[in-house]
This record gives sequence, structure tokens and C-alpha cells, in this order.
Amino acid sequence: MSLDTVHDIQIAYRKLLNSMARPGVISNLEEQAKKLEIEVGCNPSTMVLALMLLDTEVTFHVVSQRAAQITKLLNQLTYAKVVEVEQAQYIFVLNDAGSVELEKALEMAKTGDLNNPHESATVIVEADVVSGDSGLLLKGPGIKTGSVVHVKRSGDWIGIREQKNAEFPTGIDLVFVDPNHQLVCLPRTTQIVEQVIG
Amino acid sequence: MSAYNFAFFDEGSKREIRRATLKAIAIPGYQVPFASREMPIARGWGTGGLQLTLSLVGKEDVLKVIDQGSDESVNAVNIKKLVGKTTGIRATEETSEATLIQSRHRIPEIPLSEGQILVLQVPLPEPLRAYESSELVTKKLHGEREYSGAWLMLFEQIMRYGNMSTGADHPVLVHDRYVMAPSPIPRFDNPKMNRSEALILLGAGREKKVYAVPPHTQVVSLAFDDYLFQTESSAGNSCKLCGATDVFMDEFVHEETGETYHQCNDTSYCLSRLNRKVLHQEVPLNG
Repeated sequence: MSLDTVHDIQIAYRKLLNSMARPGVISNLEEQAKKLEIEVGCNPSTMVLALMLLDTEVTFHVVSQRAAQITKLLNQLTYAKVVEVEQAQYIFVLNDAGSVELEKALEMAKTGDLNNPHESATVIVEADVVSGDSGLLLKGPGIKTGSVVHVKRSGDWIGIREQKNAEFPTGIDLVFVDPNHQLVCLPRTTQIVEQVIG
Repeated sequence: MSAYNFAFFDEGSKREIRRATLKAIAIPGYQVPFASREMPIARGWGTGGLQLTLSLVGKEDVLKVIDQGSDESVNAVNIKKLVGKTTGIRATEETSEATLIQSRHRIPEIPLSEGQILVLQVPLPEPLRAYESSELVTKKLHGEREYSGAWLMLFEQIMRYGNMSTGADHPVLVHDRYVMAPSPIPRFDNPKMNRSEALILLGAGREKKVYAVPPHTQVVSLAFDDYLFQTESSAGNSCKLCGATDVFMDEFVHEETGETYHQCNDTSYCLSRLNRKVLHQEVPLNG
């Protein structure tokens, strides 16, 4: 069975929306991702997100060792425009991108300006693990008291994210997906107040 | 085969609204511009809310649409029919049963829950518009967090009338950053936005803006230390039909006697209370 671009994308969108509105809440895109019939070379969940968000109206950039191949594929499937990382509305940092590449992409991602904070990047990062185990304690809008989530991804993304989001409302919004199709969002309003190393 | 796409829109339109919605959630209270579509209902009749609803809706959703508290007014019925006919989903009047609630000018009386999304229709999304007509300037004012005008508007009302006379759409401060128009809900409903369990999305089709209040987000109605924010008082009034107190009520004048009486504005809330009453009354009859 192939991915239904109307209904499966709608279901995936509602999951993403729920996770974005409630940072720390993990959604699972497995059902939708498994329906993808094309061999994409990246996490199928990342592909589902790309199909959900990209079209000819927006720009994107892929950070990966196989960037050329995947960029071409995304462009052919969605017609979204390929731009440099600092101009991209959507940045995809794939699993094979090292910690330096991730850090560089986050540093260069656009944050919008005070008048137009929405003109900022959404960064989709393939993580090693996304789970509800102890790791990060989150606070902010969408979270009742505190939300705990574990995101395993090499690189000092937490530190760079904090710098980029220092002046709210400007900032970047992060979406993490792992190989088991677990998804978690860290919009710019979310504060990581504690890191439990365990 | 139906002659329309599922949920009326083409997928490109949905993507546009979805992208704007995600940004709106990430920046609570900030009005995200989006490419508002032409709709089969007139602009100013809930096209913003409708576009949000259509971008969200799936086959499993249960929809409730209310217009100033009523499930049965023309606007609500038309929107419900349009969504129903292009998606095949079920509509309900029961607030607790709905997964998507599109509303014009009210937040239901029953507290919303985590699994629900409230979509509010917004005629004028810009809370600063009353004193600044330029969009470029209001954008800058929001950017600089320069809200003295909003305070001055309330101050002038106090000077003129002795209190803040906003009938509806009393401005709120979201997440301690953006002053936001909560849509023309009565002041009675403003506190329901604060730390809401449900996600609240606001759409203005004519003005091409989408904005959001995520769950558990601080929403404070603007007020002064010596002139506190007050909701409309329903003290001493009770609903003529169901007897409810402490709800937002409509005032009616009896045509023959000239007496004034009150009824719940939220019709489904009133109806469910009445139904419960009937059921309770039937019990002793059997016994």
C-alpha cells in the first residue's frame, strides 16, 4: 500500500501539530512512513515531513553526506526551491551529518527578525534516539508543569539552539525524528531547563 | 467519486495553511501572514476559521461548529454542511464529543480537553488597528513590543465611561510578549484561554492571518492595577430554560409582558442540562 498524500499526510500533520503544540510529547510516524514506496535514502519519516511541508512556495536545504542525491530527490518530488542553508525555510539534517555539520547548520539557520519572526527556519534533525526516558526537562508554552524527553544526537545543538533563541520572538524551531519514527518538537518557546545525564 | 477534493482544498492550499499554523504555534500570539484562499462563503463570514478547519480535518474527526453560542445559526450550519459534504465526517452538538470545534465569538461553557482543537473565526486580528491604520506600523509596534497605544485605548475608556468598556475582543497579552485580539469573544470567555487544555487556533481569512495559543500558555487580559479586568456579570440572573447561573447569557424581552429574561448563550450546554433534567424527572415516575 502506498502513502496516501491526502489522508496519510493529514494524519502525520496532526501528529506533528500535536507535538509542536505540546513540546516533549512524542508522536510516532511509523504507520505513514512504512507506506512510502520510493527508496529515499533518508529516514522515511523525514520524507513524510518533507512531503507534508514542501512545495514550490518554499525553500529547503539538506545537510548530509549524500546531500546532492537527496536534495535532487526532494526537489523532484516537491518542486521546492533549493537554497543555501542560511536562506532556507526548511533545513533537513540527516543522520549521516556529523556533529560539526549539525552545529554549523543550526548556527547559520535564519531566525527571522523582530517584525517578521515567522521568516525563520524549521530544522528537521534525524536523531539516534527520541524517547520519553529521562534526559531533558522542558518548560514553556504547551507544557503544563514540566515535560521530560530524551533526544540522542551528537553535537552541541542544545547550546547553539539556546543562543539562536535568546531573543524571543526570533529563533529556530526544531523537529527531531529517530529511526523508529519517533518525533518530538522543540519550538523556540521551549526552554531546556535541565539535562539529566544518565 | 465526489466532485471535490477531500476537505474541499487542494493539497497546496492545505500545506500553506499548515505551515503557517506550525509557525503560529511556535510564536504564540504572533499573527502569521498566509495566502488566504477564496472560499465558497463570503470573506468576513468565517473563512479564516474555515480554512484552518479544512487544513486540520481528517476522516476520524468529529466536528462542532458554533456561531455566537448557537449550533443552529445560519453561519454555523453552512460551515458544518460544507465540511461535512466535502469530508463525510460526522458533526455533533455535544462539546465533549467533538475533536474539532470551530467557533464564532464564543468559547464553549464546558471546559475543553486535551484531545480537542478550538478554531476561532477572527474578523479583525490586529488589536492595535483601532489607533493605527498602517499594517507596516503595527507590525513594527509588535516587533518592538510597543503597546502603549493598547493601554491608552483602555485608559481612554476609563476616562470616558468609568470602566473598560470593551464589549468583546478585550485585548490579551500572550506568553508575556504579544498583545493579541482574542477574537470577539465576550470578556467572560477571556479567562478560558489562559492555560487552556486544548490548542486554540485563530484564523482571519480576509486579513490573511493565522495565530495560535498553545495549550498551557499564559494569557492575561490587559488591565490596570486600580481598574481590574472584569468579566460581564451574570450575578442574580439564571437561565429561564435550564436554570443555569454563572454562564454567559443572552437577554431577551418578553414581547407581551415586557419582562426581561435570560437564557444560556451556549445552546448545546443549555440543551444537555435540560435533557439531564428530563431524565432525572422520569426516574420518580417509574417508581
